[in-house]
Amino acid sequence: MLLKRVVPHAVLLAYVAAVLFPFVFVLFSSLKGSNVEIAADPFGIPKTWHPENYLEAWVKAKIGVYFFNSVYLSFTSALTAALLSAATAFAIIRMRYPRIGRWIYQTVLIGMFIPGNVLFIAQYLLVMNLGVLNTHWALFLPYTAGALPLGVLLLAAFMKSLPGELEEAAIMDGLSSAGLFAKIVLPLTLPALVTVFIVNFLGAWNEYLLANFFISKDALRTLPTGMVGFRDAFRTNYALICTGIVYSVAPVLLLYAFLQKQIIEGMTVGSVKG
Amino acid sequence: MKHPMRNPWIYTLFTVPTLLLYGMFFLWPMLSSAYYAFTDWNGLENYRYVGWSNFAAAFGDPDFRRAIVNNLIFIGFSIFVQIPLIVLFALLIASVRRLRGFYKTTVFVPSIVSTSVIGILWGFIYEPEVGPLNRLLALFGAGPVYWLAEPKWALPAVLIANAWQWMGFYIVLVLAAILAIPRELHEAAVVDGANGWQRALNITVPLIMPLISVVVMLSIAGGMRVVDIVLVMTKGGPVGATEVMASYMVNEAMGINPNYGFGTAIALIIFAFALLLTSLYQLTFGRRTEGGYF
Amino acid sequence: MRKRLGIAVLILLVALSASLAACGSGNKETANAVTGDAGGASPSASASSGTGSEAGGTDETKAEPFTVSLRHIQIGEAQKFRKAILDDVVRKTEEEIPGLKFELDGVEDQVNRFTKLPAEMAAGNPPKIFDLFGGAGDALKYAKAGRLLDVTPIIEELGIADKFLNLSQFTLDGRVYGLPIGGSTEGFFYNIPMFEKYGIKVPTTLEELEAAAETLKQNGITPFAMGSKGAWVPLMMVNTLIGRYAGPEAIDGFPAGTHAWNSPEVTAAFAKYEEWVKKGYFTKGELGLEYADMLNQFVTGKAGMMFDGSWRASVFKDPSQAGELTGQVGFFPMPPVPGGKGDQTFVNGNYSNGYGFSADLNERELTAVKAFIKNMYNEEMQLRGLLEDGVLPSMKLSGDALGKVEDPLVKQIMETMRQAGGAFSHFDSTVHSEVYKESEAQIQKLIAGRATAAEVTEALQKIQETANANP
Repeated sequence: MLLKRVVPHAVLLAYVAAVLFPFVFVLFSSLKGSNVEIAADPFGIPKTWHPENYLEAWVKAKIGVYFFNSVYLSFTSALTAALLSAATAFAIIRMRYPRIGRWIYQTVLIGMFIPGNVLFIAQYLLVMNLGVLNTHWALFLPYTAGALPLGVLLLAAFMKSLPGELEEAAIMDGLSSAGLFAKIVLPLTLPALVTVFIVNFLGAWNEYLLANFFISKDALRTLPTGMVGFRDAFRTNYALICTGIVYSVAPVLLLYAFLQKQIIEGMTVGSVKG
Repeated sequence: MKHPMRNPWIYTLFTVPTLLLYGMFFLWPMLSSAYYAFTDWNGLENYRYVGWSNFAAAFGDPDFRRAIVNNLIFIGFSIFVQIPLIVLFALLIASVRRLRGFYKTTVFVPSIVSTSVIGILWGFIYEPEVGPLNRLLALFGAGPVYWLAEPKWALPAVLIANAWQWMGFYIVLVLAAILAIPRELHEAAVVDGANGWQRALNITVPLIMPLISVVVMLSIAGGMRVVDIVLVMTKGGPVGATEVMASYMVNEAMGINPNYGFGTAIALIIFAFALLLTSLYQLTFGRRTEGGYF
Repeated sequence: MRKRLGIAVLILLVALSASLAACGSGNKETANAVTGDAGGASPSASASSGTGSEAGGTDETKAEPFTVSLRHIQIGEAQKFRKAILDDVVRKTEEEIPGLKFELDGVEDQVNRFTKLPAEMAAGNPPKIFDLFGGAGDALKYAKAGRLLDVTPIIEELGIADKFLNLSQFTLDGRVYGLPIGGSTEGFFYNIPMFEKYGIKVPTTLEELEAAAETLKQNGITPFAMGSKGAWVPLMMVNTLIGRYAGPEAIDGFPAGTHAWNSPEVTAAFAKYEEWVKKGYFTKGELGLEYADMLNQFVTGKAGMMFDGSWRASVFKDPSQAGELTGQVGFFPMPPVPGGKGDQTFVNGNYSNGYGFSADLNERELTAVKAFIKNMYNEEMQLRGLLEDGVLPSMKLSGDALGKVEDPLVKQIMETMRQAGGAFSHFDSTVHSEVYKESEAQIQKLIAGRATAAEVTEALQKIQETANANP
């Protein structure tokens, strides 16, 4: 009987260990002194601690710069996408232009079916022709645009479920539609907004393909590209590479620790609906 | 007095920016791809219309055919290896009382990390001399395996790294569906004398079939989308062993001899493949499990 | 509640990283990028973007600030000496031209040559000054498309036009479009103590070389270090083997149509390489190793020899990079091969890496470029490159300037070049991009055992013929 209770846990714990071991390994390796030590005792706690690796990586890899770029880009594109999606969702669901609204909804829905990298080259050429290649606009625009279909979808679904009486009351009180949107609807959709924001923030934070090819100026690079460049420049210094990985992953894990419910919800519901 | 909800100015304000951005970065690229794919533009000289020759060249290139096969292997691996494991783990998590939150939270973690960082991470794990995997093998006396350098090991290595990243995501997804099954169904079965396995196979799994169907579709889409992890771990090598259609496209269009016409043709092929596979699935198996889960 | 906390964390992250980035990197370039990126980088040159944030300086002439973008490949430890020289030139030029500020952008060599620069050329917005490779696949291709500045008038004005040793790879129709910064030759670096330990003499014939490889192998040492993930690395040795087996003229002969890849001689060169691969003379798992890993193999004593370019020499006098091997490295050229065609004393000689300049310059940028050329391409800098960095000069240096070299390794390299009957280039600067691209794919196939030498050369000849038909 006991076995029956224990076996699932045993299996699951084994799986969790397999999932987590790379992170633990990287953490330990980042604090070790040399490659020899890492090779000799990969899973062991460092014999001597070398936190100076972190300082070295910060300087050599210019992590401060990349980190800032990533935060700034992810934040602005996610925020803009969230607001734009909310506005559009409100317009098509709540405002009284039902046929146009349906048409807009269908158009935006098509975007959900296009796999990420299909548009890559065409977007590259577009950005090139717009003359914003190698600026932050080159990433901001595609990231925001890319976040719109899902955002509109999710927020439209959410707004549909809002009760209509609140609106009627507000209109009675003389609010315009914009006022209604800003003062009543937006606060009510905050949970969904936050979810959309977080999902897009993470998406932009982790994005590699566009970030790698659309930006070549080092000062404008984001973290994923910067990390790969760092790895390529310091191939043989594994402790340093591990430090870089820790820098990239820690903020995301931190965010996850606080907002895991939203993150899981956002990512899973979003995929299923799409 | 016009109803405030019929205000055309606000409507325009609220929808035009979105439509503009979306049109520029989704619709226009699709259209321009369809155009450039039939030219041989390489960015430097004037281009010529070349009809279907880009497509012919692509399918005629054994490296591209290899890339198609690799994409299919990715998809096949996701469906036939990962999905059973995913369902198994989801069932296990659903079956335990304690630590459920812990399991759910931890297995999900890899899916929120950037694929490029995961590529670096696993590239390190697979490192022939210093990486932990070979050190582990050494404990058992097995020689160093050149995971990312040997054509026969590279693809499995990337497949495992990719699986590690995404399985947790799907497990949580399926878990939600399993937990949504009304308890009465299970309780009735228990009364009828069914044990855990029987309940799982005869009640749970059939009921979550619609979601599994979605997972299959997502796996197909995901398999077609693979590119970051390949580019970061192996750049498509060694000798094209891990090349997928998207990495082939990137290497062709952004490499030594940029050929945007050819690249966009490949992009269209990827799109067509994705549509084809998804429709195929819908028409054959999807229909049976149609239940409109959401 | 948690949600609020989470949002607070997010905002904190943004604020924290903003302040950290500002002070942590303490780099004006960052500040410029952050404040200036909203202005965008417009491709038209007439907007001399004044993103310099300095107020009027201490100069009497308060000139309006302007920036000139400079792309270089001197990143990473191994390039630090070259970077130092570049920094000095940059500084000197900035002092000379009021208001000038160079915006340096360091990119990895291969990435710049094969990814960034081609894309920028296509977009029509390359940096103003950039690292450029000569030859049909690079400089000449861009020159034909009108993207490069014709520097012939500048070098004539500065009086250095005839000081260059070899401008052929940057010259199109008699006009010069780029200037090589140094010369290089590709040959074998070897581990001196290791050779002594195993009683190996420096090989002067192919048999001796193979015997040396065999000896090392018997003793558990990899004969030739190799990292072939970047296919250009093994192609260095292949190129020299072609020069040996098929003769120096073959290298230029491919695009000219006078020599064929699938000729028996060229195939023999590939076959020899294939033979060595099969005998296990190269590092195991090489297809997963990068160029930097190859150096590591050699420096840590895992391999006894390494075929590389002379630009690597500066690494071996730097203890932080060469460790125990500092000053213990020697150089010898590929020995003559039995039955080889042409002068077997020829060595590989490249004058193909240097700087190019965008054709899209306004007046002020042009003055900056002229000053840059003046400060970079002179005897002083060339000598510094030779002494500090071990890079062979691309310009003629006086006898006593050359005599100043003390590093025995560099002396050995220079001696090798002096004793050679002549030099042949690397085919990556003579053939069309498509052919080069194919050669990269084919050599990896050869190494992986997926193609034989004959198949490789057949494939290459096919592409060459197509390329020759449509110039």
